[in-house]
Amino acid sequence: MLSASSLRISKDEFESQREMEGLGMDVGDHFAEFSEGNLLESFIDFDAFFVGDGDVLPELEMDPEILAEFSAGETMNSSLASLDNQNISDKATNKEEYENKVCSDSGSGSGSGISDSNSGGGGDGEEILKQASNNSKAKKSKASQGKRKVKKVDWTPELHRRFVQAVEQLGVDKAVPSKILEIMGIACLTRHNIASHLQKYRSHRKHLVAREAEAARWRSERRERYGDGGGGKRKVISPWLAPTLGYPQMAPPPIHHFRPLHVWGHPPMDHSFIPIWPNLPHPPSPPPPWPPATTTPPPHLHPSFWHHPKDPNALTPATGTHCFPQPLTATRFGSPPIPAGIPPHAMFKVDSGVSLSTGRPPLDFHPSKESIDAAIEDVLSKPWLPLPLGLKAPALDCVLSELQRQGIPKIPPSSA
Amino acid sequence: MDDHCSSPASYIRLVHRLIEECLLFNMSKEECMEALSKHANIKPIITSTVWKELEKENREFFEAYKRSRAERASETETRQRIHNVVSESNSSPDRV
Repeated sequence: MLSASSLRISKDEFESQREMEGLGMDVGDHFAEFSEGNLLESFIDFDAFFVGDGDVLPELEMDPEILAEFSAGETMNSSLASLDNQNISDKATNKEEYENKVCSDSGSGSGSGISDSNSGGGGDGEEILKQASNNSKAKKSKASQGKRKVKKVDWTPELHRRFVQAVEQLGVDKAVPSKILEIMGIACLTRHNIASHLQKYRSHRKHLVAREAEAARWRSERRERYGDGGGGKRKVISPWLAPTLGYPQMAPPPIHHFRPLHVWGHPPMDHSFIPIWPNLPHPPSPPPPWPPATTTPPPHLHPSFWHHPKDPNALTPATGTHCFPQPLTATRFGSPPIPAGIPPHAMFKVDSGVSLSTGRPPLDFHPSKESIDAAIEDVLSKPWLPLPLGLKAPALDCVLSELQRQGIPKIPPSSA
Repeated sequence: MDDHCSSPASYIRLVHRLIEECLLFNMSKEECMEALSKHANIKPIITSTVWKELEKENREFFEAYKRSRAERASETETRQRIHNVVSESNSSPDRV
């Protein structure tokens, strides 16, 4: 009995399994079909675009936007006028016009007309571009030569990128439109198109360079004011960002250049300290190299990575990461590398995100007496420790004269 | 605990460092004077003088420091007020 039923069960299972498998296979097949079909369809669609179907798609709007991004507004009108001709996805019925504009379209159509291709990735666009140009080249006949009007080029990001590539290859100053044309190798761009584009590009670059120079000046000024070293590598605005279409704005907001201090028991969060201590084996990134196991008291006092410069115990585990030579400590007193002007509100913002491992609550408005006491004692007992905040020390004579005025002739006072 | 350093310079440096520690604790100048006097035997007048000098040298820092302290104060106050309101409403649940 048992065996019979088990047989049946197993048979059922088997059948159901087979069914499932069959289903799976079917589904798989379908999927395969679909995927293939999709691919093919996508290709077919593009081909259809090129062939032209007679429908005017409402993608006219995209082109002026893209144009406006890059070029001045005055070209928009003319571009709008010629958009009919340009836009492949227009599926222009007029084959002549299409053939005429087909090369510029190959840049634009795949780029702007078909938004997917843009988002789909440059690779796709590239492919289709080539495909289109192939098609267009095949189809391009005397029509293009017949029409003499100056073609309005649609500078898509893809096209522009190639332009920039060519310019950079040649060297911005040496970039001659004819050579650029050669390098770009897009058959239907005329020298005139390239020349005007080049002009715009150059002026834009000048503008950007000027802005960058201003930013650099501002930055160095700030650095001067607050001591060198802290201003190390803040946001480095690369001029090479410039050549992208749209020329992104790169205004240097002042506050962003100041990173929060890391004194709150947390490892420094940025890499601006690297230029200060280039002998650091690795940047002071998150993993706290400070041995929590260190016996020497409050790591919370000097959570910065000037941790225990002279403490042999602490140094050993930390040696791999922060080896601070003695002279470094000595110089610390002289010139705190941390710009004293760091707005502590940035610092305090860090606080709220920071969870102190050690027990000094920075957000506590009424710090515990014990922790204060401990901190103070620690400072007193270890006079070699560096300044936690690195504030600019006042001039000695100023302080002394001020103290004398207050009635304290000499310090340390003989009677505490 | 040796706060009788040999030179005035190192003494002042010490006070400077102590003040910075207090700043880390978000203390006010008065609180700092008190703490240093109590824990490190530093005369409040000295603390105050060094503090003032530090302030002169690091004006922006101290301005921001004051601002953030004020913010914190108002924030705490607000939080307290909210807390009060909440506890009040909790205590009288019939008033929906």
